Amino acid sequence: MEEKEIQEALSIIWELKEKKEVSKEKISSEILQKLQKDFLDDLVKKGYILLEEQKVRFTHSGEKIACDLIRRQRLAERLFSDVLEIKEEILSPFACEFEHILPKEVEESICTLLGHPRQCPHGSPIPEGDCCKKVEEVVKSIVVSLAKLKSNQEAKVVYILTGEHSQLHKLLSLGITPGSMIKVHQTYPSFIIQSGETQIALEKNIARNIYVKKLSDGEFHKTK
Amino acid sequence: MKEKIVLVGSPNVGKSVIFNALTGSYVTVSNYPGTTVDVSEGIGKFDNKNLLVIDTPGVNSLIPHSQDEEVTTDILLDKSIKTVVQVADSKNLKRTLLLTFQLIETGLPLILDLNMYDEAKEHGIDIDTKKLSQILGIEVVKTVAITKEGISQLKNAILKTTHKEWTKFKIEYNSIIEEAFVKINDELPPFLKNNRAVAVRLLSSEIEEEGIYKFIGEGTLVKIKEIKNSWQNKFSKSLEVIFLEEKTSIVEKIIDEVMNFSKPLGKVFQDSVGKLTLKPITGIFILLFVLFIMYKFVGQFAAGTMVDFFEEEVFGEYINPFFIKIFKEFIHYIFVQDFFVGEYGIITMALTYAFAIIFPIVTAFFLFFGFLEDSGYLPRLSALSDRVFKMIGLNGRAILPMILGLGCGTMAVLTGRILDTRKERILITLLLALCIPCSAQLGVIMGLLGSLSLNGLIIWLVVILTVLVVIGYIASKTIPGERSSFIQEIPPIRIPKINNILIKTFARLKWYIKEAVPLFILGTVILFVFDRIGLLLWIKKLLSPLVVGLLNLPVDTAEAFIIGFLRRDYGTAGLYILSKNGQLNNLQLLISLVVITLFVPCIAQFFVTIKERGLKITLSIAIFVFVIAFFIGGILNLFLSYLVSRGFLVI
Repeated sequence: MEEKEIQEALSIIWELKEKKEVSKEKISSEILQKLQKDFLDDLVKKGYILLEEQKVRFTHSGEKIACDLIRRQRLAERLFSDVLEIKEEILSPFACEFEHILPKEVEESICTLLGHPRQCPHGSPIPEGDCCKKVEEVVKSIVVSLAKLKSNQEAKVVYILTGEHSQLHKLLSLGITPGSMIKVHQTYPSFIIQSGETQIALEKNIARNIYVKKLSDGEFHKTK
Repeated sequence: MKEKIVLVGSPNVGKSVIFNALTGSYVTVSNYPGTTVDVSEGIGKFDNKNLLVIDTPGVNSLIPHSQDEEVTTDILLDKSIKTVVQVADSKNLKRTLLLTFQLIETGLPLILDLNMYDEAKEHGIDIDTKKLSQILGIEVVKTVAITKEGISQLKNAILKTTHKEWTKFKIEYNSIIEEAFVKINDELPPFLKNNRAVAVRLLSSEIEEEGIYKFIGEGTLVKIKEIKNSWQNKFSKSLEVIFLEEKTSIVEKIIDEVMNFSKPLGKVFQDSVGKLTLKPITGIFILLFVLFIMYKFVGQFAAGTMVDFFEEEVFGEYINPFFIKIFKEFIHYIFVQDFFVGEYGIITMALTYAFAIIFPIVTAFFLFFGFLEDSGYLPRLSALSDRVFKMIGLNGRAILPMILGLGCGTMAVLTGRILDTRKERILITLLLALCIPCSAQLGVIMGLLGSLSLNGLIIWLVVILTVLVVIGYIASKTIPGERSSFIQEIPPIRIPKINNILIKTFARLKWYIKEAVPLFILGTVILFVFDRIGLLLWIKKLLSPLVVGLLNLPVDTAEAFIIGFLRRDYGTAGLYILSKNGQLNNLQLLISLVVITLFVPCIAQFFVTIKERGLKITLSIAIFVFVIAFFIGGILNLFLSYLVSRGFLVI
């Protein structure tokens, strides 16, 4: 039985547990349906679950693994849906893969980045991690689209996403390049930003394609 | 063959002011109308040497993405240029140096002119030009072009530069890119070889659009395309971005070494005014204020007082009678007499109207417009109105030709060049032809509307604006093509310098006399001929079912419309006469004013539209406008006459 399949099975068991479903029968048939094989016996052998009467229960180690997996999966979903704004249809299969390869350090960074979210986009709870427990308050940075900023906020350009070549060119030649520091002057009726000594008016569609990292107060004034 | 100096730089850096300072010749000093895509030349005196100075359209990069940029970039392929002077905005050193690097890559001798240095100082910026000069290996001078500070240093620097002592400064890219350069260089024809700027351009641009391919053969084209594609595949970002990023990191290091930034001195007032112009509520108030001033200055003072003076006194009392007398005495052919001083005479009609009526109005308008330009207000107005323009398939930049159209529609059509896509240019030309009355016409219209009740004015305004929005919307959905995105630099609010405004206005008037007036004369001649051969009568008869039947107007109104094509203002004046003679009641006057506003533009605008958009499109627009004008007139007539007859409305 592969690593990945173990993880998938454990995730399924956790999700069912959340819905208060612990019966062996139900769990078994779910796993069969989703993974085309009944892994319950293998999981018992590996020491991840215990079968008590007709109920399934996590062992300590099994619970830990499942918890981590679910946490990663739901953080990934949050990341993709909130920050990257990827649509549901594209999101799900991708996020499912993501959870298997996300290493621990990266997971904590993402959690901190997102401000220790407690729920995934579908409303299911995200298990707490170490970082949440320490309540890391310094939200170091978050990458958002410029269109989401409000007046008087400052940010640093991380990347510019645009298919149209000439849009990109105009932006670059006006000094909006990855690494530039910008400040938002107003957002309505046009987006007005300042980069260095240049003030630029943009339409919202273009602001949507510029991805920036919000800056904390001291950082902006090192601009030239 | 004189030695050439080429001025290059971003828009809004004062390039044309430098051009004036070097050559003493008057050229329109702004980024927008007509002159931008045309290259200006003048002779500059440097000590005892005369050099040819060439002013190029403003560019943000030498990788061309617009007609302007292509014009300038192609000019820089000429190896015989003695010196390139990059005129720069000292406040924006980062953007400046990015362009400087590109210019250095062309291999042409370069001088960096840090202009508008006074503004940089106001912003707390201080640049060590000696050090910068050392690092880049080129002459760097500081100027404040408007006050002529630093110009003599600039002139000296120009005299000193030669091809021989060219800078050793080189921008090294990463090794993969350098490999690409070698490969491309092998393929290039001799006159483009060893030109890093060309290699960068070929690797960066979208091959299909590139104009440089006119210089390169078919076979070479294919090979270069291959090289570009294979190198692009080595990177996840576009090559253009990579070039820019590599240049940017070098630029930032240099800036760290040469630029000092201290807390700026308070420019509180200008900054606050600037901010207010951009916010929606205060912005609209400021706009209304601006329109009011325009009405007072252009409308009342120029169109009223000045015109009266010129028309009645200068021409009425002196010039016309004088010529009439001369012709009557010395030339005994009635035909010739009439041709020059008759009802449609060249002197009595064409010249009188061109100089007595149009000229003062247009001058006032250009002065006012020049003031708006230099103050930095216009880009802000674009930003404010962008959303509104989006409804009709344009973007905020279209405000400029629209406002200019209120002055002179012919010039406004030329300004359509600032819009990026073909679709937008067609749209703006259509709307200018349909809805925007020029200042000459506007003056008379306002006067006539004044004689009606307030309802009349409101109805006129509402109808015109509605037509603008509705037709604009429909046209934007029907005309194929793209809309361009709105990205616009907002310069700081400046207090305009009077003599700059005067220089600009003078240049524009010169253009006007050269281009528009001859067409007015032509229009008059045509009228004269039509009148003689009875064609005028015939056209009147042709239009009368429309005019009388549909619009319920007296048949003579048709004449006003026809004349309106040749001379917009005179057409409207025709209505004035009809109204004075009691031939039009209030409702009819209103209807005819609406129709004549919507009606086809004057002959000068017509010819310029043909030049800019082509005959086919112009004719389609003309027919469309003609139909719409009468159609709206007809509907309005039905609707209003019903309301008036039932006593719901008084006009």
